[in-house]
Amino acid sequence: MSRPPLWKPFILVASYVFYGAADPRFCLLLAGVTLANQFASLQIDRAPDRRTKKRIMIAAVAVDLGVLGIFKYYGFFSDELNSTLDAVGLGLPVPLANIALPIGVSFYTFQAISYTVDVYRGIIKPAPLIDLAIYLAFFPHVVAGPIVRAREILPQIAKPRDPNDVRVGAAVVLIGVGLVKKVAIADFLAREVVDPVFGVPQAYAAPDAALAALGFAAQIYCDFSGYTDIAIGLALLMGIVFPQNFDRPYSATSFRDFWRRWHMTLSRFLRDFLYIPLGGNRHGELMAARNVMITMLLGGLWHGADWTFVIWGGIHGSALVIERVLRGRVPAPPVWLRWLIVFSVVTLAWIMFRSADIGLAWEFLTRLADPGAATLWSFPVVAAIVLVIGLQLVPQRPLAEVRMSVERLQPAALGAALAAIIVLVGATVPSGGVPPFIYFQF
Amino acid sequence: MSTEQSDVPLPPPGRRLRARDAILVVLTATVLLVLFQGQSVRNWGEQMDPGIGRDIVLGVGKPVGWLADRLPLHDAADDATSWLASEDDLGDAGGFDTPAPTSAGERGGIPPVSPESFDPATLGEDPPKLELDKLLVTGDSLVMPLDVVLARRLADEGVEVVRDSHVGTGISKSGLVDWGKLSTKQVEDEEPDAVVVFIGANEGFPIPVAGGREVECCGQEWAAAYADRVRRMMNTYRRGGAARVYWLTIPTPRDGDLADISSTVNAAVDVASVPWRAQVRVLDLVPVFSPGDRFRSSMEVDGKKELVREPDGLHLTEDGAELAADLVLDAVERDFPR
Repeated sequence: MSRPPLWKPFILVASYVFYGAADPRFCLLLAGVTLANQFASLQIDRAPDRRTKKRIMIAAVAVDLGVLGIFKYYGFFSDELNSTLDAVGLGLPVPLANIALPIGVSFYTFQAISYTVDVYRGIIKPAPLIDLAIYLAFFPHVVAGPIVRAREILPQIAKPRDPNDVRVGAAVVLIGVGLVKKVAIADFLAREVVDPVFGVPQAYAAPDAALAALGFAAQIYCDFSGYTDIAIGLALLMGIVFPQNFDRPYSATSFRDFWRRWHMTLSRFLRDFLYIPLGGNRHGELMAARNVMITMLLGGLWHGADWTFVIWGGIHGSALVIERVLRGRVPAPPVWLRWLIVFSVVTLAWIMFRSADIGLAWEFLTRLADPGAATLWSFPVVAAIVLVIGLQLVPQRPLAEVRMSVERLQPAALGAALAAIIVLVGATVPSGGVPPFIYFQF
Repeated sequence: MSTEQSDVPLPPPGRRLRARDAILVVLTATVLLVLFQGQSVRNWGEQMDPGIGRDIVLGVGKPVGWLADRLPLHDAADDATSWLASEDDLGDAGGFDTPAPTSAGERGGIPPVSPESFDPATLGEDPPKLELDKLLVTGDSLVMPLDVVLARRLADEGVEVVRDSHVGTGISKSGLVDWGKLSTKQVEDEEPDAVVVFIGANEGFPIPVAGGREVECCGQEWAAAYADRVRRMMNTYRRGGAARVYWLTIPTPRDGDLADISSTVNAAVDVASVPWRAQVRVLDLVPVFSPGDRFRSSMEVDGKKELVREPDGLHLTEDGAELAADLVLDAVERDFPR
C-alpha cells in the first residue's frame, strides 16, 4: 500500500513551514544537517571496508556534534575559557558571540546521529533523501522530541499503516490531556509559585520554597509530558506511531527505574550511543560507575549550557552509582521508603535544574531551612501538585477505563470533546499568552 | 530497505477508526471552535506583526470573527468559563478606548504649566522625603529579567517588589491588553510607592484617533497618539504625586525597522513625561547600551567584556539587566534616600 504521491512533499513542506515560523534561517541549518547525514550515509553504504565506513561515520557525528557545539555551547565555553584565562592573568579573550539557539537543535542532531550510526551498524540502509528529511523535520517532534530513532520512523514513512486503522480516539485523548497538562497545570504552577520563588528565593521562607520545589517537579512533568502527549497524538492522527516518552516517573522506587520512566527516548539514546559505546558495565564495577557518571554529566549538559545542568546530571549519576554499589550489599528498604528517597532526591535535583545559576540554587536550598510564613500556599496550587504526583501513584486501571470510554465516542463527539477542552483550557490563559514549553530551550 | 518492521513502536490499544474519521474529528472541533471562539482568531491576527503570517491569519480570522459576532455562543462560553480565568477583569476604568480627561486649556488654548513640571533637584531645591515600601516593576518582555534582578537586589532592603510582566503586549496594541486599564488596575491593587516601566518590544501598531481614523507608525501623528497613551499611564502610576515613576527607554535594537519604531517610542516617552518631571523620571538606556544610536551586543563592564543583549537583538541579557538595574536603583536612591 503506498501513500498518495503528494503526501511526502506536502508533509515535508508543512514541517519546514512550521519549523521556519520561529525563524526561517534555522531551516537552512536543518536542511544542512539533513544533507550532510544523507551524504555520509550514502558514502558509508558504498565504502568498501569497515575502516572507511567508520571514518565517515565519525566525521558525520563530528559534524552533528559540531553544529550542536557551535549553536548551543559556544557562548558557555567561550565565557568559561575567558574567565579561566583571566583568572591566571593570560588575558587572551576568546571572541564573545551571542548565537541564537535554533529551536530543536538538540533533538534533531541526536536523531541525525541515530540515523547515520544505524546505517554504519548495518541496522538500516540509507533512506531516500525525502524520507530522511521528513524523519528529521516531521513537525510533531522537530522542536522537542520525543527523540525517535530512524529505525522506528523511516519504515512508517516508507510504508504507511492501514488508513482503516487509525487510533483516532487515543490521539484525541492524548492531545486533550497534553493541553490540560501544559496550559492548565504547568503554566498555572509556574505563575503562582515556581517563577516567583525561583526568581527571587531570598524573598521567601521554607514553606514557600518547599512548595516551589514540589511545584516545579509537577510543572516540568506536566510541561514536557504534555508536549509529548500532544506530539504523539498529532502523529497518531497521521498514522505515525511515536515511542512512549514518560511512564509515571514519580512512581519510581529506584533511580534506574526513574530513568526508565522519565524522558525515556533520551535515556535509551544515551544508553545506546554513549553508555554502551563507552563500555557499559562490561569492564567491572569501577568502569561501569565511570561510564554512568560520564553519561549523566553529558546528559545534564545536553539540557543546557550551564553548570547547573551539569550538577543536576552529576546528582543523578551519583545516585545511580550509589544505588548500583548498594544493590545486593545492603537489605533493600521497604518500597515506601525507596519511593520517598528517590522522589526527594529527584525533587531536590530539580532545584539545581531550575535555578538560573549555582548561587541562586544555593540560596534556594538555604531557604528550605529558613522558618517563616507561607505566603504562596493556596488550595488550587496544593491540589494541582497533589493531583499530578498522586495520579502517578494510584492504580491505573480506573484511569485507563475512563480513557477508553472517551476513546469509544463517535468521531463527531470526539471532535466536540476536543473543542470543549480547548475552550476550557483557553479560558485559563492569561493576557501574556502561553509561555513556551520548557524543553524548547534545549 | 532492510529495516525491520519490529522496531516500529506498537500503536496504543484502543478502537481503530478510519482516516476519514480523523478528518471528521478535526473538522468538528474546528467548526465548533469557529462558532464559539471565532473572534479569537481575528483578534490574534490583529495583534500580529505585519507580514504574510498576519495576512493569512486575518484572511481566516475576519470571516470567522464576523460569523461568531452574529452568534451568542462566544459570550455564553465566556460566562461558562469565567471561573477558570487566571486574571481578574481589568474593568473599564482608564482604558484607551475612552477619551482622556483633559483640562479646559489643553485643547485649544495654551496648556498651563504646573509646578510638577519641574524636578526640584534641577532647581536646587530639596526633594520631599519619601519612603519606599512597595515597588511595582512592569512592562512587556523587555522588563524580563530586569524585574527579577531588581527584586533580588532589593530583597534584603525590606522593599516589597511586585513583578508584573505581560509578554507580547504593547501600548499601541491594546487588543490583547489595554495598558490604560491595566495600569489603573495595578495601581488600585498594589498602591505602589514607585513604579518601574520597561515596555516597547511590541509597538508600531496603528492607533485609533479622534474621528474613527487610525494613524500608522511612525510619524508625528502616531508619536503624539502614542505619547498621549504613555502620558495617561504615567499619570496613573504617579498616583497624584504620591509615587515616583521610572520609565526606561528602549536601547537601539539591531533590526532597522524596530530601531525606527523604538526611536519614535523613546521620543514619545520623553514628551509624555514633561508635565510631571517632579515625579516621572525617564531613564535613557540608549547612551548606555547603544551609544550613537548604534546597536552593540557586548560592552565593557567593570573591565570585562560582557554580552548585554540577547541574540534577538532587542532584549537585555542578565548582565545587561544588571546594568539597567544600577541605573534604576541610582534614580530610586535619589528619590527615596535611606
